[in-house]
Amino acid sequence: MGTLPKVLGFSLALTLVFTGVANLLPQVEGESPKEEKVDLGALTMESFVALGESTVSGKGTCTLCHNDLGRAPDILALNMVATAEERLADSRYQGKATDVESYLRESMMDPGVYVVAGFGKKGSNDTESPMPAVHKKPIELSRVQIDAVIAFLQSKDGNDVTVALPTDAPAETVAAPAAAPAAAASAEEAVAKYGCSACHTIFDTESPVGPNLTTVASRLSVDEIRQSIINPSAVIVEGFPPIMPPNFAERMTVKELELLVAKLAEMK
Amino acid sequence: MNSGNTVVIWLLSFVAVGLFFYGLDHLVMSSQGLPLNLNLTPVQ
Amino acid sequence: MRSGVAEAKFSNRLSRWMLWLLAVVLIVGLANLTGITLVDSVHAAEAVAEEASGHLPEVLKGAPELTAGDYPKVGNSSSRSVVWILAQMHLFFAAFVLAVPLFVFVIEFVGVKTRDSRYDDMAHEFMKVSMTAYSITALLGGTLAFALFLLYPDFMAYMLEVFGSQVLVYALLFFLESAVLYMYYYSWYALRYGNAKYVHLSLGLLLNVVGTTLLVVANAWATFMMAPSGVDATGAVTGDIWEIMRGPLWNPVNLHRFIANIAFGGAIVGAYAAFKFLSGRTKAEKAHYDWMGYTSNFIAVLSFLPLPFAGYWLMAEVYSYSQQMGITAMGGILAWLFIVQAVLIGTILLASNYYLWSGMSRTEGSRRYQWMIKYIALVLTCGFLVWVTPHTLILSAKEVAALGGSHHHLLGPLGIMPAKNIAVNLMLIFTFLSFQLYRRSDKVATVSWAPAGNALMVAIYAVAIANVIFAGVYYGYFTNTVYKVGSSVMQVVSTLIVIGAGVTIDALMYKGAKILPSEWGKVSNRSQYALFALPVAFTWLMALMGYVRSSVRGSWHVYTVMKDGSPDNYIPAIGHAGNMMTIVTILFLFCVLFVFWIASLSNTKQLPPVAE
Repeated sequence: MGTLPKVLGFSLALTLVFTGVANLLPQVEGESPKEEKVDLGALTMESFVALGESTVSGKGTCTLCHNDLGRAPDILALNMVATAEERLADSRYQGKATDVESYLRESMMDPGVYVVAGFGKKGSNDTESPMPAVHKKPIELSRVQIDAVIAFLQSKDGNDVTVALPTDAPAETVAAPAAAPAAAASAEEAVAKYGCSACHTIFDTESPVGPNLTTVASRLSVDEIRQSIINPSAVIVEGFPPIMPPNFAERMTVKELELLVAKLAEMK
Repeated sequence: MNSGNTVVIWLLSFVAVGLFFYGLDHLVMSSQGLPLNLNLTPVQ
Repeated sequence: MRSGVAEAKFSNRLSRWMLWLLAVVLIVGLANLTGITLVDSVHAAEAVAEEASGHLPEVLKGAPELTAGDYPKVGNSSSRSVVWILAQMHLFFAAFVLAVPLFVFVIEFVGVKTRDSRYDDMAHEFMKVSMTAYSITALLGGTLAFALFLLYPDFMAYMLEVFGSQVLVYALLFFLESAVLYMYYYSWYALRYGNAKYVHLSLGLLLNVVGTTLLVVANAWATFMMAPSGVDATGAVTGDIWEIMRGPLWNPVNLHRFIANIAFGGAIVGAYAAFKFLSGRTKAEKAHYDWMGYTSNFIAVLSFLPLPFAGYWLMAEVYSYSQQMGITAMGGILAWLFIVQAVLIGTILLASNYYLWSGMSRTEGSRRYQWMIKYIALVLTCGFLVWVTPHTLILSAKEVAALGGSHHHLLGPLGIMPAKNIAVNLMLIFTFLSFQLYRRSDKVATVSWAPAGNALMVAIYAVAIANVIFAGVYYGYFTNTVYKVGSSVMQVVSTLIVIGAGVTIDALMYKGAKILPSEWGKVSNRSQYALFALPVAFTWLMALMGYVRSSVRGSWHVYTVMKDGSPDNYIPAIGHAGNMMTIVTILFLFCVLFVFWIASLSNTKQLPPVAE
């Protein structure tokens, strides 16, 4: 074989290896920002809180930093009402907020007013916050969205929501909650909707992260199955990490839960 | 060069370089406002 | 009334970009005729400037807000893909033609100092390869500009409004670059000896000054898009051109691209030499191209080693500019591609090490060091494996579902940054060790303090390696985040000290050393494939990093200032991006082969027909 074909073949093969690696990785596409109208007139407190929740993980990009990796206070794990009260009582607090709601709003729109110890910009000795003001570019949350986030932060730990539903404002353009998911009509749909198969071997997908569910009914009773979904850490199967999200009880409808439990109870 | 001399050279080299790197680590960390913290105290 | 305004706006826009298009076409057309029409083109450019300034608004005007309808659709093609391919191709060639004169200048200078004409011939041959590439760069640049104006007219209008006359400075520099380049190349043999050689070297210096200025001027466009400065929150221009150019990311990108270009350029000419080596027939030819390939690899590897540190600075600046942008790059969707990056850099390090080891066959003196190769190979392999271990990522629910948990249950401890920092620094240190052993293999030091120098070098290696491991393990796993970041600087400094001390000690210790016989050309054919692996991996890597650099803006043309309203305003998945990178790499590969072919064509002479 001549030099040219050999060299070309080698180079192309190497290129294909790189392409292969890129294609083997999990494929995740960024999302286009989609602005959808939310009819404020038809807004219930429930959907308002849901809007807040989807804003926290979606348009607000809050969870990029506010997670359990220590970049910023973990707002999902902390009880934010209790936390806000502590902060307001802190002698370092110099802001204008007087209650939880105004503290949370201030923290989002002017994060530099009070920087939680240890989370300031490097070298600023906790006087400057690395967090951008959420109502400004590039995040640009609207007033309604900021209120919705506050409502979500208040309600997620069972505290009272003090934010008033927006009613006066004209129909505002805000991001809709990520396609408010329809309730699943079958156990299979529920498994897909809540991503159970990401960790569990169930139906025809396999995953080693969590216990195998194809024979779960041979190990657990109906009540134990239900408990394992509602409160996963109550009983941890030996050899598995306690990482199952504890919030399925809040996220699932009663019907979805029962569909799942009934289906799993058949799997012997 | 006798063998005793060689051992001295090697020892000196290691000691000198070791001290140099120790000072360097100090310098690098302190320029970022951090102590060397060899006793495992978590900061703040 | 409404349609009238729209029409006026449209014709306004149209006339402006037609004028710019004209300027661009002029640039391209003139690239090969520079000397003759330089004066005319300056007038033309001035006329364009006057014309353009006539349209400038009196009040502060922000960036336009665009919707999908504002983007012209040409056929069924994706505008993003078209611009992606053209921009990447242009950047490949631009990087190549800016880099070659840099090391050619150094090699030419070495030739003058050592009075060895082989250096001079090699420098000239490197230039010859880059000449055809220069025209292709200009053509691609023109096509890219055309595509941008055609497919993203409002965005380009805004960019021109911001940068204004700076673009004309760029055009002028481009003419100057062409003029100096042709003078430099074609006067090579006319100005070869004595004082004339220094005139020629000065031309080379001027060429590099102009070339580097071109690079930093063009970089300002990209860094403005990532971290705008000199404009207010709406995008209206508030500062002068200097403030606009001097954004927070400008200098980190300048440094990073400057170094990377040299590594890239070295890798490409290395492939040229390898190709000529493989197809060479005579012993002399083989010896010449073996030496040329070796020099190219030397350039590529030596400038590649500090590159991670320049990248580190860039990422640190990105974080301090916008934590959100930094996390998008390192911990969000894009974090996946750092696994691909690890594969590529691993390929580069393994290939260049392999090449160095193979090259030891050129001299008998290498026997002394051969036992170390297997250990170096082991460290490189382990480092590589740790590095490709999937990172602990910050994931959305969708991503968690795709991966099955945010942490890998077994590889978790290896998947965090400190482990990777150790791996990368050790790989760099051991690559430098290969390099140093290779350099030493044909020499025997004769200075009296050689044993002490040797002991010092070994001590530096040992302590630096211990320090890298200690800093990573101790600060990475036993203390908190503040230390993790602080200690990574410690590791970087250790690595740099090894490289710096190695170069210095060897330079002093091997002064007047006894040179053992070595024979150029005495190297396996297989080793030459390492010289092809390098440019392929470099090219792909450059495309990959371009994808990150561009993607961190998310759905913004100019971050925080001008929204991207086009249908493609999302970060594409890594697989799609990988396919695009392969397309541009293969296109580039074929273009480069064409360039090589043209370069060798000028050596071919047809014999005159023999009269019978």
